[in-house]
Amino acid sequence: MAGDGEPISEAEALEQLRQTDDQSRQYYAAWWLGRMRSRHPEAVPLLLAALRQRQPRDVGAGVEHNAVARNAARALGKIADGRAVPELLEVLDDADDGLREAAARALGELRATAALPLLTRRLASGPDVAGANRSDSPRLQEPCEAMLEALGTIGVAAPDVLAVIKPFTSHGRPLVRSAACRALLQLTGETAWAEELLQLLQHPQLQVRRAALMDLGAVGWRPALAPIQRTLAENSLKLIALRGLVENSTGSEADSDDEAVLMAMDALL
Amino acid sequence: MTAASGDSRLAADRIRAFEQAGSAEELVVATRRLIACDDPLATVPHLVQVLGFNNPGAAVAAVDGLIALGPAAVGPLLANLDAHNYGARAWAVRALAGIGDPRGLDVLEDALATDVGPSVRRAAARGLGALRLESLAEAERHQMRERCLHALESGRGDGEWVVRYAVAAGLEGLALPMPPADPHRDRAESSLKQLQDPEREDTQVVRLRAGVALKRLNAQ
Repeated sequence: MAGDGEPISEAEALEQLRQTDDQSRQYYAAWWLGRMRSRHPEAVPLLLAALRQRQPRDVGAGVEHNAVARNAARALGKIADGRAVPELLEVLDDADDGLREAAARALGELRATAALPLLTRRLASGPDVAGANRSDSPRLQEPCEAMLEALGTIGVAAPDVLAVIKPFTSHGRPLVRSAACRALLQLTGETAWAEELLQLLQHPQLQVRRAALMDLGAVGWRPALAPIQRTLAENSLKLIALRGLVENSTGSEADSDDEAVLMAMDALL
Repeated sequence: MTAASGDSRLAADRIRAFEQAGSAEELVVATRRLIACDDPLATVPHLVQVLGFNNPGAAVAAVDGLIALGPAAVGPLLANLDAHNYGARAWAVRALAGIGDPRGLDVLEDALATDVGPSVRRAAARGLGALRLESLAEAERHQMRERCLHALESGRGDGEWVVRYAVAAGLEGLALPMPPADPHRDRAESSLKQLQDPEREDTQVVRLRAGVALKRLNAQ
Protein backbone atom coordinates (compact mmCIF):
# COMPACT_ATOMS: atom_id res chain seq x y z
CA MET A 1 0.00 0.00 0.00
CA ALA A 2 0.93 3.67 0.14
CA GLY A 3 2.78 3.46 -3.14
CA ASP A 4 0.62 5.65 -5.34
CA GLY A 5 2.20 8.44 -7.28
CA GLU A 6 5.77 7.26 -6.79
CA PRO A 7 7.70 7.72 -10.00
CA ILE A 8 9.91 4.62 -9.69
CA SER A 9 9.33 0.96 -8.93
CA GLU A 10 11.23 -1.13 -6.42
CA ALA A 11 13.21 -2.81 -9.23
CA GLU A 12 14.17 0.61 -10.61
CA ALA A 13 15.15 1.86 -7.17
CA LEU A 14 17.43 -1.13 -6.65
CA GLU A 15 18.98 -0.61 -10.10
CA GLN A 16 19.57 3.10 -9.47
CA LEU A 17 21.21 2.35 -6.16
CA ARG A 18 23.42 -0.32 -7.74
CA GLN A 19 24.90 2.02 -10.37
CA THR A 20 27.47 4.48 -9.06
CA ASP A 21 27.85 6.98 -11.92
CA ASP A 22 24.95 9.19 -10.93
CA GLN A 23 24.93 9.91 -7.21
CA SER A 24 21.75 11.94 -7.31
CA ARG A 25 19.91 8.84 -8.56
CA GLN A 26 21.52 6.76 -5.82
CA TYR A 27 20.49 9.38 -3.27
CA TYR A 28 16.86 9.23 -4.35
CA ALA A 29 16.85 5.43 -4.63
CA ALA A 30 18.19 5.05 -1.07
CA TRP A 31 15.51 7.41 0.22
CA TRP A 32 12.82 5.55 -1.73
CA LEU A 33 13.79 2.12 -0.37
CA GLY A 34 13.65 3.47 3.18
CA ARG A 35 10.39 5.31 2.70
CA MET A 36 8.79 2.16 1.24
CA ARG A 37 10.44 -0.01 3.90
CA SER A 38 11.52 -2.34 1.13
CA ARG A 39 11.62 -6.02 2.03
CA HIS A 40 13.46 -6.99 -1.15
CA PRO A 41 16.44 -9.30 -0.34
CA GLU A 42 18.81 -7.03 -2.27
CA ALA A 43 17.77 -3.83 -0.51
CA VAL A 44 19.87 -4.19 2.66
CA PRO A 45 23.06 -5.42 0.88
CA LEU A 46 22.82 -2.56 -1.64
CA LEU A 47 22.21 0.02 1.08
CA LEU A 48 25.20 -1.30 3.02
CA ALA A 49 27.30 -0.97 -0.15
CA ALA A 50 26.07 2.62 -0.49
CA LEU A 51 26.99 3.23 3.14
CA ARG A 52 30.55 2.05 2.36
CA GLN A 53 30.71 4.60 -0.44
CA ARG A 54 31.37 7.26 2.22
CA GLN A 55 34.56 9.21 1.90
CA PRO A 56 37.08 10.53 4.38
CA ARG A 57 36.21 13.96 5.66
CA ASP A 58 37.49 16.56 3.25
CA VAL A 59 36.67 20.15 4.05
CA GLY A 60 37.12 21.19 0.42
CA ALA A 61 34.85 18.50 -1.00
CA GLY A 62 31.59 20.29 -0.24
CA VAL A 63 28.79 19.20 2.01
CA GLU A 64 27.10 16.76 -0.31
CA HIS A 65 29.80 14.18 -0.93
CA ASN A 66 28.44 11.85 1.73
CA ALA A 67 24.79 12.44 0.95
CA VAL A 68 24.24 8.95 -0.51
CA ALA A 69 25.77 7.29 2.55
CA ARG A 70 23.60 9.43 4.85
CA ASN A 71 20.43 8.43 3.05
CA ALA A 72 21.54 4.80 3.06
CA ALA A 73 21.98 4.97 6.86
CA ARG A 74 18.52 6.52 7.26
CA ALA A 75 16.95 3.87 5.03
CA LEU A 76 18.64 1.07 6.98
CA GLY A 77 17.05 2.48 10.14
CA LYS A 78 13.61 2.51 8.56
CA ILE A 79 13.93 -0.98 7.11
CA ALA A 80 15.04 -2.06 10.60
CA ASP A 81 17.06 -5.12 9.60
CA GLY A 82 19.48 -6.16 12.34
CA ARG A 83 22.17 -7.07 9.78
CA ALA A 84 22.88 -3.35 9.41
CA VAL A 85 23.91 -2.82 13.04
CA PRO A 86 27.66 -3.64 12.83
CA GLU A 87 28.27 -1.28 9.91
CA LEU A 88 26.13 1.47 11.41
CA LEU A 89 28.23 1.19 14.57
CA GLU A 90 31.33 1.86 12.47
CA VAL A 91 29.65 4.91 10.96
CA LEU A 92 28.88 6.17 14.46
CA ASP A 93 32.66 6.74 14.73
CA ASP A 94 33.00 8.45 11.33
CA ALA A 95 34.67 11.85 11.17
CA ASP A 96 31.64 13.28 9.31
CA ASP A 97 29.16 14.40 11.98
CA GLY A 98 26.28 14.34 9.48
CA LEU A 99 26.92 10.63 9.01
CA ARG A 100 27.19 10.08 12.77
CA GLU A 101 23.82 11.79 13.12
CA ALA A 102 22.13 9.57 10.52
CA ALA A 103 23.75 6.45 12.05
CA ALA A 104 22.63 7.42 15.57
CA ARG A 105 19.02 7.83 14.45
CA ALA A 106 19.11 4.56 12.52
CA LEU A 107 20.58 2.65 15.47
CA GLY A 108 17.83 4.14 17.65
CA GLU A 109 15.17 2.93 15.23
CA LEU A 110 16.84 -0.50 15.28
CA ARG A 111 16.71 -0.46 19.12
CA ALA A 112 20.38 -1.46 18.94
CA THR A 113 21.60 -1.94 22.51
CA ALA A 114 25.02 -2.63 20.98
CA ALA A 115 25.23 1.12 20.26
CA LEU A 116 24.96 2.13 23.94
CA PRO A 117 28.70 2.03 24.80
CA LEU A 118 29.65 4.16 21.80
CA LEU A 119 26.78 6.63 22.17
CA THR A 120 27.46 7.17 25.86
CA ARG A 121 31.20 7.50 25.23
CA ARG A 122 30.71 10.17 22.58
CA LEU A 123 28.39 12.16 24.85
CA ALA A 124 30.25 11.57 28.13
CA SER A 125 32.19 14.85 27.90
CA GLY A 126 28.87 16.64 28.39
CA PRO A 127 27.36 19.89 27.09
CA ASP A 128 30.64 21.81 27.36
CA VAL A 129 32.65 19.53 25.07
CA ALA A 130 30.44 17.14 23.09
CA GLY A 131 27.74 19.83 23.14
CA ALA A 132 30.04 22.76 22.32
CA ASN A 133 29.55 24.91 19.24
CA ARG A 134 31.83 24.16 16.31
CA SER A 135 33.90 27.00 15.02
CA ASP A 136 33.29 26.12 11.35
CA SER A 137 29.51 25.63 11.31
CA PRO A 138 26.37 26.21 13.37
CA ARG A 139 26.46 22.55 14.37
CA LEU A 140 27.68 21.09 17.64
CA GLN A 141 30.76 18.89 18.10
CA GLU A 142 28.53 15.83 18.34
CA PRO A 143 25.05 15.48 16.80
CA CYS A 144 23.66 15.65 20.35
CA GLU A 145 19.95 15.67 19.53
CA ALA A 146 20.14 12.52 17.41
CA MET A 147 22.34 10.72 19.93
CA LEU A 148 20.16 11.65 22.92
CA GLU A 149 17.04 10.61 21.06
CA ALA A 150 18.67 7.29 20.15
CA LEU A 151 19.49 6.63 23.82
CA GLY A 152 15.85 7.22 24.71
CA THR A 153 14.53 5.06 21.89
CA ILE A 154 16.89 2.16 22.58
CA GLY A 155 15.28 2.18 25.99
CA VAL A 156 17.88 0.92 28.46
CA ALA A 157 17.49 2.95 31.67
CA ALA A 158 20.91 2.01 33.08
CA PRO A 159 22.42 4.42 35.64
CA ASP A 160 25.39 5.25 33.39
CA VAL A 161 23.08 6.05 30.47
CA LEU A 162 20.93 8.37 32.61
CA ALA A 163 24.04 10.03 34.04
CA VAL A 164 25.29 10.85 30.54
CA ILE A 165 21.94 12.30 29.41
CA LYS A 166 21.08 14.44 32.46
CA PRO A 167 23.66 17.25 32.00
CA PHE A 168 22.20 17.96 28.55
CA THR A 169 18.90 19.07 30.14
CA SER A 170 20.69 22.35 30.90
CA HIS A 171 22.35 22.75 27.49
CA GLY A 172 22.18 26.27 26.05
CA ARG A 173 20.13 25.18 23.05
CA PRO A 174 16.45 24.45 23.70
CA LEU A 175 16.39 21.76 20.99
CA VAL A 176 19.09 19.81 22.82
CA ARG A 177 17.27 20.25 26.14
CA SER A 178 14.12 18.95 24.48
CA ALA A 179 15.92 15.86 23.16
CA ALA A 180 17.46 15.16 26.58
CA CYS A 181 14.13 15.52 28.41
CA ARG A 182 12.46 13.30 25.83
CA ALA A 183 15.04 10.56 26.39
CA LEU A 184 14.81 10.83 30.18
CA LEU A 185 11.02 10.78 30.11
CA GLN A 186 11.08 7.68 27.91
CA LEU A 187 13.61 5.95 30.14
CA THR A 188 12.30 6.92 33.59
CA GLY A 189 8.67 8.02 33.17
CA GLU A 190 9.43 10.78 35.70
CA THR A 191 7.00 13.71 35.46
CA ALA A 192 9.72 16.34 35.98
CA TRP A 193 11.08 15.74 32.46
CA ALA A 194 7.60 16.11 30.99
CA GLU A 195 7.20 19.44 32.76
CA GLU A 196 10.27 20.77 30.98
CA LEU A 197 8.88 19.61 27.61
CA LEU A 198 5.52 21.23 28.36
CA GLN A 199 7.37 24.47 29.09
CA LEU A 200 9.10 24.24 25.72
CA LEU A 201 5.67 24.04 24.02
CA GLN A 202 5.38 27.72 24.94
CA HIS A 203 8.83 28.74 23.74
CA PRO A 204 8.84 31.91 21.62
CA GLN A 205 10.56 30.13 18.71
CA LEU A 206 8.30 28.01 16.50
CA GLN A 207 11.16 25.60 15.78
CA VAL A 208 11.44 24.79 19.50
CA ARG A 209 7.70 24.35 19.93
CA ARG A 210 7.72 21.97 16.97
CA ALA A 211 10.53 19.90 18.47
CA ALA A 212 8.76 19.68 21.85
CA LEU A 213 5.58 18.54 20.06
CA MET A 214 7.47 15.77 18.28
CA ASP A 215 9.24 14.77 21.50
CA LEU A 216 6.04 14.52 23.56
CA GLY A 217 4.50 12.50 20.74
CA ALA A 218 7.50 10.18 20.59
CA VAL A 219 7.15 9.52 24.32
CA GLY A 220 3.37 9.19 24.09
CA TRP A 221 2.87 11.36 27.18
CA ARG A 222 -0.94 11.36 27.60
CA PRO A 223 -1.15 14.28 30.05
CA ALA A 224 0.25 16.46 27.24
CA LEU A 225 -3.04 16.30 25.31
CA ALA A 226 -4.45 19.66 26.39
CA PRO A 227 -1.11 21.52 26.23
CA ILE A 228 -0.55 20.16 22.70
CA GLN A 229 -4.00 21.35 21.66
CA ARG A 230 -3.15 24.85 22.93
CA THR A 231 0.30 25.04 21.30
CA LEU A 232 0.82 27.63 18.59
CA ALA A 233 2.01 25.47 15.70
CA GLU A 234 0.76 23.94 12.47
CA ASN A 235 -2.07 21.44 12.75
CA SER A 236 0.02 18.97 10.72
CA LEU A 237 2.60 18.76 13.50
CA LYS A 238 0.01 18.64 16.27
CA LEU A 239 -1.61 15.73 14.45
CA ILE A 240 1.71 13.85 14.36
CA ALA A 241 2.22 14.54 18.07
CA LEU A 242 -1.30 13.33 18.92
CA ARG A 243 -0.80 10.23 16.79
CA GLY A 244 2.21 9.60 19.00
CA LEU A 245 0.09 9.96 22.17
CA VAL A 246 -2.20 7.24 20.84
CA GLU A 247 0.39 4.85 19.42
CA ASN A 248 3.24 5.22 21.90
CA SER A 249 1.19 5.53 25.05
CA THR A 250 2.54 3.36 27.84
CA GLY A 251 0.83 2.16 30.99
CA SER A 252 -2.77 1.06 31.43
CA GLU A 253 -4.89 3.83 29.94
CA ALA A 254 -8.63 3.40 29.64
CA ASP A 255 -10.03 2.97 26.12
CA SER A 256 -12.05 6.16 26.47
CA ASP A 257 -8.73 7.99 26.67
CA ASP A 258 -7.89 6.91 23.11
CA GLU A 259 -11.15 8.32 21.91
CA ALA A 260 -10.46 11.68 23.58
CA VAL A 261 -7.17 11.95 21.69
CA LEU A 262 -8.82 10.88 18.43
CA MET A 263 -11.49 13.57 18.82
CA ALA A 264 -8.77 16.13 19.43
CA MET A 265 -7.18 14.95 16.16
CA ASP A 266 -10.50 15.25 14.31
CA ALA A 267 -10.69 18.88 15.39
CA LEU A 268 -7.34 19.56 13.71
CA LEU A 269 -8.15 18.03 10.32
CA MET B 1 -2.66 52.12 11.86
CA THR B 2 -5.22 54.89 11.82
CA ALA B 3 -6.97 56.24 14.88
CA ALA B 4 -10.22 54.90 13.49
CA SER B 5 -9.02 51.35 13.97
CA GLY B 6 -8.79 51.85 17.74
CA ASP B 7 -12.09 51.03 19.40
CA SER B 8 -14.41 51.34 16.43
CA ARG B 9 -16.40 48.26 15.53
CA LEU B 10 -17.48 49.77 12.22
CA ALA B 11 -16.69 47.53 9.28
CA ALA B 12 -15.55 50.48 7.16
CA ASP B 13 -12.99 51.57 9.77
CA ARG B 14 -11.65 48.08 10.22
CA ILE B 15 -11.42 47.52 6.47
CA ARG B 16 -9.44 50.76 6.20
CA ALA B 17 -7.09 49.62 8.96
CA PHE B 18 -6.75 46.29 7.19
CA GLU B 19 -5.84 47.95 3.91
CA GLN B 20 -3.20 50.04 5.65
CA ALA B 21 -1.59 47.16 7.57
CA GLY B 22 2.12 47.39 6.84
CA SER B 23 3.80 44.41 8.47
CA ALA B 24 2.91 40.73 8.51
CA GLU B 25 2.00 40.98 12.19
CA GLU B 26 -0.22 44.03 11.67
CA LEU B 27 -2.01 42.10 8.95
CA VAL B 28 -2.75 39.22 11.34
CA VAL B 29 -4.21 41.62 13.91
CA ALA B 30 -6.17 43.56 11.29
CA THR B 31 -7.60 40.32 9.87
CA ARG B 32 -8.73 39.16 13.30
CA ARG B 33 -10.42 42.53 13.83
CA LEU B 34 -12.27 42.26 10.51
CA ILE B 35 -14.06 39.17 11.77
CA ALA B 36 -15.19 40.86 14.99
CA CYS B 37 -16.67 44.01 13.43
CA ASP B 38 -20.32 45.10 13.35
CA ASP B 39 -20.92 43.93 9.77
CA PRO B 40 -18.75 40.88 9.09
CA LEU B 41 -20.46 40.15 5.76
CA ALA B 42 -18.97 43.35 4.37
CA THR B 43 -15.50 41.97 5.09
CA VAL B 44 -15.86 38.73 3.07
CA PRO B 45 -14.00 40.00 -0.03
CA HIS B 46 -11.10 41.13 2.18
CA LEU B 47 -10.99 37.84 4.06
CA VAL B 48 -10.89 35.99 0.73
CA GLN B 49 -8.11 38.33 -0.40
CA VAL B 50 -6.03 37.45 2.68
CA LEU B 51 -5.88 33.80 1.57
CA GLY B 52 -3.56 34.84 -1.27
CA PHE B 53 -1.13 36.91 0.82
CA ASN B 54 1.31 34.16 1.83
CA ASN B 55 0.80 35.08 5.49
CA PRO B 56 -0.17 31.87 7.33
CA GLY B 57 -1.17 33.62 10.57
CA ALA B 58 -3.55 35.96 8.75
CA ALA B 59 -4.82 33.13 6.52
CA VAL B 60 -5.68 30.98 9.56
CA ALA B 61 -7.65 33.90 11.02
CA ALA B 62 -9.38 34.54 7.68
CA VAL B 63 -10.35 30.86 7.27
CA ASP B 64 -11.84 30.85 10.78
CA GLY B 65 -13.76 34.01 9.94
CA LEU B 66 -15.03 32.66 6.62
CA ILE B 67 -16.16 29.42 8.26
CA ALA B 68 -18.03 31.42 10.91
CA LEU B 69 -19.80 33.36 8.15
CA GLY B 70 -20.90 30.10 6.56
CA PRO B 71 -22.82 29.92 3.26
CA ALA B 72 -22.52 33.68 2.69
CA ALA B 73 -18.79 33.20 2.13
CA VAL B 74 -19.13 30.40 -0.43
CA GLY B 75 -19.92 32.51 -3.51
CA PRO B 76 -16.91 34.82 -3.10
CA LEU B 77 -14.65 31.85 -2.27
CA LEU B 78 -15.64 29.96 -5.41
CA ALA B 79 -15.50 33.08 -7.58
CA ASN B 80 -11.95 33.84 -6.47
CA LEU B 81 -10.42 30.36 -6.69
CA ASP B 82 -7.03 30.93 -8.22
CA ALA B 83 -5.51 27.97 -10.01
CA HIS B 84 -2.16 29.78 -10.17
CA ASN B 85 -1.82 30.62 -6.48
CA TYR B 86 -1.39 27.29 -4.74
CA GLY B 87 -1.42 28.77 -1.24
CA ALA B 88 -4.62 30.71 -1.79
CA ARG B 89 -6.35 27.67 -3.24
CA ALA B 90 -5.26 25.47 -0.32
CA TRP B 91 -6.70 27.92 2.21
CA ALA B 92 -9.92 28.18 0.20
CA VAL B 93 -10.29 24.38 0.25
CA ARG B 94 -9.92 24.46 4.04
CA ALA B 95 -12.55 27.19 4.31
CA LEU B 96 -14.97 25.31 2.03
CA ALA B 97 -14.39 22.08 3.98
CA GLY B 98 -15.22 23.90 7.21
CA ILE B 99 -18.33 25.61 5.86
CA GLY B 100 -19.84 22.39 4.52
CA ASP B 101 -21.91 24.03 1.81
CA PRO B 102 -22.86 21.58 -0.99
CA ARG B 103 -21.64 24.10 -3.60
CA GLY B 104 -18.10 23.27 -2.45
CA LEU B 105 -18.36 19.63 -3.57
CA ASP B 106 -16.53 20.00 -6.92
CA VAL B 107 -13.58 21.71 -5.27
CA LEU B 108 -13.36 19.19 -2.41
CA GLU B 109 -13.55 16.20 -4.77
CA ASP B 110 -10.80 17.64 -6.93
CA ALA B 111 -8.61 18.54 -3.92
CA LEU B 112 -8.79 15.07 -2.32
CA ALA B 113 -7.99 13.38 -5.62
CA THR B 114 -5.25 15.65 -6.96
CA ASP B 115 -3.83 18.19 -4.49
CA VAL B 116 -0.11 17.78 -3.80
CA GLY B 117 -0.43 18.93 -0.18
CA PRO B 118 -1.46 16.28 2.38
CA SER B 119 -2.88 19.01 4.63
CA VAL B 120 -5.18 20.10 1.81
CA ARG B 121 -6.24 16.53 0.97
CA ARG B 122 -6.94 15.83 4.63
CA ALA B 123 -9.12 18.96 4.92
CA ALA B 124 -10.98 17.94 1.74
CA ALA B 125 -11.62 14.43 3.11
CA ARG B 126 -13.00 15.87 6.33
CA GLY B 127 -15.16 18.29 4.32
CA LEU B 128 -16.55 15.53 2.10
CA GLY B 129 -17.98 13.91 5.22
CA ALA B 130 -19.42 17.14 6.57
CA LEU B 131 -21.44 18.67 3.72
CA ARG B 132 -24.83 19.89 4.91
CA LEU B 133 -27.08 17.85 2.69
CA GLU B 134 -30.22 17.66 4.87
CA SER B 135 -32.05 20.53 3.18
CA LEU B 136 -31.60 19.11 -0.33
CA ALA B 137 -34.31 17.20 -2.19
CA GLU B 138 -34.04 13.43 -1.86
CA ALA B 139 -32.73 12.76 -5.36
CA GLU B 140 -30.09 15.46 -5.21
CA ARG B 141 -28.99 14.40 -1.75
CA HIS B 142 -28.61 10.83 -2.96
CA GLN B 143 -26.53 11.92 -5.93
CA MET B 144 -24.23 14.12 -3.82
CA ARG B 145 -23.73 11.36 -1.24
CA GLU B 146 -22.78 9.04 -4.06
CA ARG B 147 -20.07 11.49 -5.17
CA CYS B 148 -18.79 12.08 -1.61
CA LEU B 149 -18.66 8.35 -0.97
CA HIS B 150 -16.87 7.64 -4.23
CA ALA B 151 -14.27 10.34 -3.48
CA LEU B 152 -13.68 8.99 0.04
CA GLU B 153 -13.44 5.40 -1.22
CA SER B 154 -10.68 6.51 -3.58
CA GLY B 155 -9.03 8.47 -0.76
CA ARG B 156 -8.60 5.23 1.19
CA GLY B 157 -5.60 4.51 -1.06
CA ASP B 158 -3.85 7.81 -0.27
CA GLY B 159 -0.15 7.43 0.55
CA GLU B 160 -0.31 9.69 3.61
CA TRP B 161 -1.64 8.30 6.88
CA VAL B 162 -3.19 11.62 7.89
CA VAL B 163 -5.31 11.69 4.74
CA ARG B 164 -6.52 8.13 5.34
CA TYR B 165 -7.28 9.17 8.94
CA ALA B 166 -9.38 12.06 7.61
CA VAL B 167 -11.09 9.64 5.19
CA ALA B 168 -12.12 7.48 8.18
CA ALA B 169 -13.49 10.53 9.99
CA GLY B 170 -15.20 11.68 6.78
CA LEU B 171 -16.84 8.29 6.20
CA GLU B 172 -18.25 8.40 9.72
CA GLY B 173 -19.66 11.89 9.18
CA LEU B 174 -21.16 10.90 5.85
CA ALA B 175 -22.77 7.68 7.10
CA LEU B 176 -24.12 8.75 10.50
CA PRO B 177 -27.19 10.59 9.16
CA MET B 178 -28.12 7.69 6.83
CA PRO B 179 -30.79 5.16 7.76
CA PRO B 180 -29.47 1.66 8.62
CA ALA B 181 -30.73 0.01 5.41
CA ASP B 182 -29.18 2.61 3.09
CA PRO B 183 -26.78 0.94 0.59
CA HIS B 184 -24.49 3.99 0.88
CA ARG B 185 -24.19 3.29 4.57
CA ASP B 186 -23.17 -0.30 3.85
CA ARG B 187 -20.50 0.92 1.48
CA ALA B 188 -19.18 3.42 4.04
CA GLU B 189 -19.03 0.67 6.67
CA SER B 190 -17.26 -1.64 4.27
CA SER B 191 -14.64 1.07 3.59
CA LEU B 192 -14.21 1.62 7.32
CA LYS B 193 -13.69 -2.11 7.84
CA GLN B 194 -10.86 -2.02 5.32
CA LEU B 195 -9.29 0.93 7.15
CA GLN B 196 -9.61 -1.03 10.39
CA ASP B 197 -7.94 -4.16 8.97
CA PRO B 198 -4.24 -4.59 9.95
CA GLU B 199 -3.68 -6.54 6.71
CA ARG B 200 -4.71 -3.53 4.63
CA GLU B 201 -3.88 -0.51 6.81
CA ASP B 202 -0.48 -0.26 8.45
CA THR B 203 -1.01 2.88 10.55
CA GLN B 204 -2.39 2.08 13.98
CA VAL B 205 -4.09 5.41 14.61
CA VAL B 206 -6.00 5.11 11.31
CA ARG B 207 -7.24 1.65 12.29
CA LEU B 208 -8.32 2.98 15.70
CA ARG B 209 -10.20 5.89 14.14
CA ALA B 210 -12.00 3.55 11.75
CA GLY B 211 -12.89 1.32 14.72
CA VAL B 212 -14.41 4.27 16.60
CA ALA B 213 -16.42 5.19 13.51
CA LEU B 214 -17.78 1.64 13.18
CA LYS B 215 -18.61 1.54 16.89
CA ARG B 216 -20.61 4.75 16.60
CA LEU B 217 -22.40 3.59 13.47
CA ASN B 218 -23.33 0.29 15.08
CA ALA B 219 -24.54 1.96 18.28
CA GLN B 220 -27.34 3.70 16.40
